[in-house]
Amino acid sequence: LPGLDPLSAVWVGIICLVFSSRLSTMKAASICPNDQTGCHLLPLANLFDRVIQHSARMHGISDDLHSEFELYFLPSKNQIGRVSRNCHTSTILTPNGKENAQRIAREELAEIILKLLVAWRDPLWHFHQSMSQHDEFTNFSSNKSLEMSDMVHELRKGVLKVVEKMQMLGIISNSVGDTGSPEALLTSDSAEWRFMKDYDLLYCFRRDSNKIQNYLKILKCRIVPKHGC
Amino acid sequence: MNEKISRMHFFFVVKHHRSKDLSRAQISNFPHPHLSLFVFFSVPQPSLCGATMRKAEGGILLRLLLLFMLHATGTSYSPPGKPTLTRCRSPEKETFTCWWEPGSDGGLPTKYALYYRKENSDKVFECPDYRTAGENSCFFNKNDTSVWVNYNITVVATNALGRTFSDPVDIDVVYIVKPNPPENLALTVLWDQTWPYLHVSWESPQKADTRSGWITLIYELRIKLEDEDEWEEHPAGQQKTFNIFSLCSGGKYLVQVRCKPDHGFWSEWSSSQYVKVPEYFNREKSMWVLAVIFSAFALFIITWLIHMNCHNLKQCILPSVPGPKIKGFDEQLLKDGKSMDAFSSLVGANFPPTTTNYEDLLVEYLEVFVPEERELMLEETKELHNDSLKFENSTSDCDSGRGSCDSHTLLIDKSEEEKGQQPDQQSSEIKMDGKGQDEEDKYLTCSPENVDSHQLSSEKVKTWPSSFSPLPEYSPIPLQQPNSHETSKQPCLSDSLFAAGPLPSHFPHLGHNTKDEIGSSYWQFGISNKQLHLLHQQMEAHQQLQAHKNASVSNIGHLQLPSVRFTEYVEVQRVSDQNMVILHPVPSHPETSYPDWHQTEEYSKVKCVDNDNGLLLLQREGVEEGMDMCSYEELPESDPSKTTNTTFTSPCSQPAPSVQDERVVGGYVETSVFTLPTY
Repeated sequence: LPGLDPLSAVWVGIICLVFSSRLSTMKAASICPNDQTGCHLLPLANLFDRVIQHSARMHGISDDLHSEFELYFLPSKNQIGRVSRNCHTSTILTPNGKENAQRIAREELAEIILKLLVAWRDPLWHFHQSMSQHDEFTNFSSNKSLEMSDMVHELRKGVLKVVEKMQMLGIISNSVGDTGSPEALLTSDSAEWRFMKDYDLLYCFRRDSNKIQNYLKILKCRIVPKHGC
Repeated sequence: MNEKISRMHFFFVVKHHRSKDLSRAQISNFPHPHLSLFVFFSVPQPSLCGATMRKAEGGILLRLLLLFMLHATGTSYSPPGKPTLTRCRSPEKETFTCWWEPGSDGGLPTKYALYYRKENSDKVFECPDYRTAGENSCFFNKNDTSVWVNYNITVVATNALGRTFSDPVDIDVVYIVKPNPPENLALTVLWDQTWPYLHVSWESPQKADTRSGWITLIYELRIKLEDEDEWEEHPAGQQKTFNIFSLCSGGKYLVQVRCKPDHGFWSEWSSSQYVKVPEYFNREKSMWVLAVIFSAFALFIITWLIHMNCHNLKQCILPSVPGPKIKGFDEQLLKDGKSMDAFSSLVGANFPPTTTNYEDLLVEYLEVFVPEERELMLEETKELHNDSLKFENSTSDCDSGRGSCDSHTLLIDKSEEEKGQQPDQQSSEIKMDGKGQDEEDKYLTCSPENVDSHQLSSEKVKTWPSSFSPLPEYSPIPLQQPNSHETSKQPCLSDSLFAAGPLPSHFPHLGHNTKDEIGSSYWQFGISNKQLHLLHQQMEAHQQLQAHKNASVSNIGHLQLPSVRFTEYVEVQRVSDQNMVILHPVPSHPETSYPDWHQTEEYSKVKCVDNDNGLLLLQREGVEEGMDMCSYEELPESDPSKTTNTTFTSPCSQPAPSVQDERVVGGYVETSVFTLPTY
């Protein structure tokens, strides 16, 4: 190279070496100098905490939106017509009690969480689209629906990371898929949710986000019980 | 069914002659004493058939009796009123209970039933447990509870006359969680050095399962003194301990705590726990007390001091504004109306100018010096030398009256230069010849651009007498003739008055020309022209330049003044292409030609060369010194080589030979031909 004299090349090489060595040393310096019991699981516990916080926030937003909807569109709460509601995620079998949730395998629980997240990706996006078209909604609501839609994406990524970490640590088997089972795909492809009204969609999502949050907590306390359970 | 009926407390005893085992019902008040009916409630028999038969019979009979009674008594009975479901609560998200409020019973025994339906299913279930939770309640145990499932619940009230349905209610267990209050509230007083604080700890309610992550609870506690009414609330998040500081010493406190799931209702407050804080010395309080006392004391002292020195302070802070006062001005006179008298003190010796002849005030002169060293000059030069050095040091040129082409500094510098070069020169003429034309050109440059004479060119420049322009920093040199020299140095002013103070100092500068620098004066002239560039930067007003030049020129002349015979005259040879006035020294003939010269010709001091190639000449006042005023003329030079005529307004006075040493008499340029007549 014309512009590169050997001296500068040597300097660059030295600097690179120094940096790489630093990075490697940084990796080596872990949080657990002495291998205390459960210490090596601290990063996993932190990951879990973050994901749980994320899901809590998601549920909070959906709750707000739902009450806002109720205020504007459904003054009377106890309409009989509501009973016939059917969420499109009802095909996904979810544990409905504590014992059930504790009984099923961790992998299954993780899988259920992922299925739910996948199933809500498209419906929320369309919900946001329809929300923004309505003039009655304030910007506040519109922002919330967008935020909700984004959060589903982010949360799914987060959960996948957690699963990956768990698989790395050997806590769970590698059976947990990334794209989800065919069941989940069916759910998301099914056009059921398109026929749902906005309010019903919100109602269903509020519940499902609560399920996700709760399952994550249970999973955490099953896997890393010593860190804040 | 039988149990239900027994609850209704029928006061009728019906005699059932058929059944043997009759249980006697309680006989109580009858509406009609004469009518007494004994109703025996049949106890269910082991055989089912018999029991049901009896039941059915009993029921029908009962109804008939009721109808009869209604008719007989005349009271109104109605179907039951509508019951309402008041609330449903779950303490741990695994079971839940619903309560309802019965409506009017219609005067008849009413029974209530709760039916529910799960989400997306049409199957109707009845409440499994009416007892556990008390009256008018329905308890759903773990097996019957499904979380995240929508329950549709209805309560039915039934009496003899009909049944009434309540409004259905949809509930989801997740959103109706209200936990039990926290348990095992413990208070301990701990010490942080000398400060006590309260350490509160509790546990989550037993039923709520927080360990498995099924429920997440957040806590809140409140505290108050025993006598107070207001509680102080503290949210505690998910932690189960809390520390409270800033306790009253010796106070008795009450503490309560409650909890709530992340989406649900607050629990009830736990039972109060009491704690007594031991007595301790509150250093903080006593410190505050001391601080307050001290500040009050200090304030008091300051106030007292201010009061004592009231007057002095007033003078210090608010000094009296001096009234307008003019020196020598007597207000009283003005008030009296004698304005002229009042102003009399203001009037100086020369103000207002009494003379109306302003021409007298003008200074007109033109001095061109031919460098010729004379012994008579020595003394002068020495003194001048000292002053010149002094002046040289000052970089800021305060002298506003100098001509632009002349510079005292220029003169000094050049003269210093020349010192070495030309130690001895007897005649400037020789020097000039020796130098040749080049040097003449070099030295006698008066670049027009250096001189802002365009302003002056348009008008006559007058110089004002020295009385208007005293400068304290310059000590008047005794050598000088006060007025003439000063006036000669005074600037060509068109409209403003400039101090001519520095002018006298030119003399000392010029005095820098030692006897060795014989031919330096015209050099100086040239030098001054040259150095005009330098000066220009220093001097802002063109008048200053002019004055300076004026002075320099006069200074040049000054050197020559002491002896007329030593005066050399520069003959203006020609004006070169670069607008240079090339002066040709004229050999001087001492003691001879001076008077002639003065009588015949008139000369004006070259002030500067303006942009239009005009030589600005100054008029000089020479009344006192016996010098006549020369007229100020502008000598336009359209053709450099041409010498133009100038007019003289008045003859220049010749410098008196008697003032050889003290006075500066400039050389004169005969403006008509730019040549100086030879003596």
